[in-house]
Amino acid sequence: MTKTDYDVIVIGGGSTGTAVARDCAMRGLSTLLLERDDIASATVGTCAGMISSGLKYMEEPDIVDMCSAEVVHFNHIARHIIAKDPILTPMLEMSDLSTGGNFAEEYSKRAAERDVPPVLFLTPEDSLEIEPMLNPEIIASMYFEEFFIDPFRLCLLQALDAQRHGADVKTYTEVTDILLEKGAVRGVKVFDRTTGETSEFISSTIVNATGPWAHKIAALAEAPLELRLNKGAHVILDRRVVNVGIVTKAVDGRMIYLFPHENTVLLGTTALDTWEDPDTLTASHDEIEYLIKSMEWVVPSIRDARIIRTMEGVRPLIATWKVPEDDVTRGYEIVDHKTDGVAGLFSFTGGKLVMCRHMAEAVTDLVCEKLGIESECRTDKEPLPGNEDDVDVLALAEEYGISQHTVERMRARRGTETRDILALTRDHPSWKSTICTCEPVIEAEVRYSLRNEFPQTINDLRRRLRVGTGPCQGTFCTYKVAAILAEEKELDSSVANLELLNYLAERWKGKRPSMRGQQLAQEEVVQGLYACVANLDRVVVNYEPGPWEEDA
Amino acid sequence: MSEEEAYEFVKGTLEEEGIVPFHDDELETVKSIENCINCGLCINHCPVVASVGLDRFSGPRSIAVQLTRSPPEYWATADTIYLCTGCGTCREVCPKNVDIPEIVNIVRARIFKTRRDLVPKGLFGVHETLTDYRTAFEPWDDVEEKEASRDMRIERLGLKFVPDRIKDEADVLFYPGCQAEERAQEVREAGKMILEHFGINYTLLEEFNCCGLPARLMGDDETARSLAADLRRKVKALGVSQVVTTCAGCTSSLNDIARRDEWGVPVYHMVEYLVHEVGLDGVRSALKARSDGVLKVTVHDPCHLIRHTSRQTMQDALALLDAVPGVEIVPSGVSDSCCGGGGLVAYHAKDVASAVTQENVGGITHTEAERVVTPCPLCTAQIEASLFRDGSSIEVDDLSVFIAQRLVME
Repeated sequence: MTKTDYDVIVIGGGSTGTAVARDCAMRGLSTLLLERDDIASATVGTCAGMISSGLKYMEEPDIVDMCSAEVVHFNHIARHIIAKDPILTPMLEMSDLSTGGNFAEEYSKRAAERDVPPVLFLTPEDSLEIEPMLNPEIIASMYFEEFFIDPFRLCLLQALDAQRHGADVKTYTEVTDILLEKGAVRGVKVFDRTTGETSEFISSTIVNATGPWAHKIAALAEAPLELRLNKGAHVILDRRVVNVGIVTKAVDGRMIYLFPHENTVLLGTTALDTWEDPDTLTASHDEIEYLIKSMEWVVPSIRDARIIRTMEGVRPLIATWKVPEDDVTRGYEIVDHKTDGVAGLFSFTGGKLVMCRHMAEAVTDLVCEKLGIESECRTDKEPLPGNEDDVDVLALAEEYGISQHTVERMRARRGTETRDILALTRDHPSWKSTICTCEPVIEAEVRYSLRNEFPQTINDLRRRLRVGTGPCQGTFCTYKVAAILAEEKELDSSVANLELLNYLAERWKGKRPSMRGQQLAQEEVVQGLYACVANLDRVVVNYEPGPWEEDA
Repeated sequence: MSEEEAYEFVKGTLEEEGIVPFHDDELETVKSIENCINCGLCINHCPVVASVGLDRFSGPRSIAVQLTRSPPEYWATADTIYLCTGCGTCREVCPKNVDIPEIVNIVRARIFKTRRDLVPKGLFGVHETLTDYRTAFEPWDDVEEKEASRDMRIERLGLKFVPDRIKDEADVLFYPGCQAEERAQEVREAGKMILEHFGINYTLLEEFNCCGLPARLMGDDETARSLAADLRRKVKALGVSQVVTTCAGCTSSLNDIARRDEWGVPVYHMVEYLVHEVGLDGVRSALKARSDGVLKVTVHDPCHLIRHTSRQTMQDALALLDAVPGVEIVPSGVSDSCCGGGGLVAYHAKDVASAVTQENVGGITHTEAERVVTPCPLCTAQIEASLFRDGSSIEVDDLSVFIAQRLVME
């Protein structure tokens, strides 16, 4: 019998929602997490993964304090999916320094607790030694360090850890209504997107952590909620073309960046008020040009770099109007809709990736208070799955006869889980075979994920494994992953083909806006493989093109 | 913190993170790797992949799309990246001109700097020799023994002894390379004989030093750059207008560093020098058959000539052989397949190097050739050893020796 009654229902499987579910479950609440798509499938999946010390909000010291403390917590609970980026802010003229003064001071105040140096200043010669791609005309540069996390793995690990603590996690389950009774919430009505069935879950407490959709979810309970939606684009390069991160002033005086992330570089980001549908948003030509033009002053060769794709996300900012986006607080608010006559509904507005654990702690405190439960938050103390121990990559590579780099990449995603995945190859030696050549990913990890991490689609596997995220953008791994997915889930060939095409279309969504240069040659290979060789464009009959696809 | 202290601190962080910034002169190579479209053409042509399989060596494609994307992870590529023989076949067949052999050196340089413990142990012997003696092979303890070995080789091969020439105001520097200096001394002697024969105003180095190629191939960029700088200084001091070498590896390496470090002096392999500077007609009239009858010869194309310098060099080599009376050239079908001696692979993974040579051994023994000729002392040694192991009686000659043996003596 399916459980239908919960202490708390959390809506939204992004960084905040998964953090809330984890916290609630760890505090012993019976918890249900509902996500209409996959974990980390929207806003958080389009961010740079920076667990920022607060460098853009130095005017808000309390928030900077919070961010800095959260970085320390993340380095404690999730260090296996975190990397440090050294960052240069090259200056071409003295006026580029104008934002530097206050920043340097505020940043340096809190540097020691994160175990990073205060802001340093480097000569042009030394800067060019560190980063020969810089414009030789620079007059100086500022140096600091920030930490970056794999946002997909973070959300998934939070969701998996919530499960371990007894929570139910349901993806592809869309909340279609909020049930009300006597001025309070009673539960939710959901639509199961995989089966097409509807059902109800009962709870007197609902946490609305749906980011840019928060106002729509609140509206289901007839509760008013205002957001200032602001979209941002990232351009993704095929590899780490820069030795270090670069921060610089954009054409309009905003700060933008070039950050090494995993084995790529991210160029971002734009900030535009938006009223578009977050589901079908793509980066625009203007956004891509804005980023390239702005970075070109300090990294002149950036225009020639290979762009593999773009991504576009929507920030759910706290509704502050008639000020530039940069002046809107980067803090968050928890709206208790009790004052709107809807008791038991809490909605988030604002917030940043780095704050997700803090946000979860704050709302879980409120939930516990409401339910009369006394329980201490432990999310900053207990490690996320995989972070329990160090992993000896060289020993594992030797033991299993798998290349060191393959094991190291797996370790960066998995931490201690690496051992469990490699152990699968004892019974199945053929599972050592490479599925994704770029990352790389071996078959054992694909099988492991399918069996333990509830992916439904190839795209879900991409979030969990990084399959298809390299320079070739799924040219060779997609059909292999589709075959494994079909076998594990016992899909018939027409469903598997449709799944394959859906994934290629999803990749196309991000590839199309920036398609140029070398990526055109790459795309020819993709088209040749899937259309000319596999005949996918002929054999899939019930395919509906996405809004971002051009008419045939 | 002062700017100097700041820079030292930042360098410390970069080192901790495993980041060794790319040099200016490496950016072009890094840029070329971005062009890979993962088509896999290179995998089908890589001699190492063909010999040992993708499980042992994941191949040039993986170097482009996987192993070289993130400098902080370069350390983890040591078990793979050192198995590349650097033959350059991948670069030659690549439709996008991706420079795999160069990025391999760039990655090895980073491993050498940040995680020397992961550099194959077999390379440390040659590393020590290079840093101690500035050549790739340990010099002979006893000069008389060295001379005795030289004389034995000269006699066995029927070469003539020409005293060393070290002089000012020479036009040409003859640079035999480490192998010919210390091991295959017959090649050095043959080179001198040829230059002498054609009346070239040449000199040897008073104090020989390695061009730096082996240091570069193992990742010791610092030693490689310092050896290259020494050599540049010596070449400049001599004031020669041309450099001639009998070694294929030195030809490509000297060309690279001469271009990079702006020597302003052209570097030739002996075959190029004979064909283009001396002239084929002059060479032809200076050669005679060594014995009655026709000698069937097959050639081996050194990777460092055909793929790192120019395919034209082997056209020159064939033209030279064609000019020798009593020689018939028999194609082996595998002449441009790597001998396995490249990339220092034979120093630490003999099984891989031997597997790669097997391709040559098979091709050569299937011909009717009685002799293999190749313009490289290193390929000569590698193929000679493999044929011997295989029980073949086919002999291998360095091309310079082969030519010198057939000079008409007064």
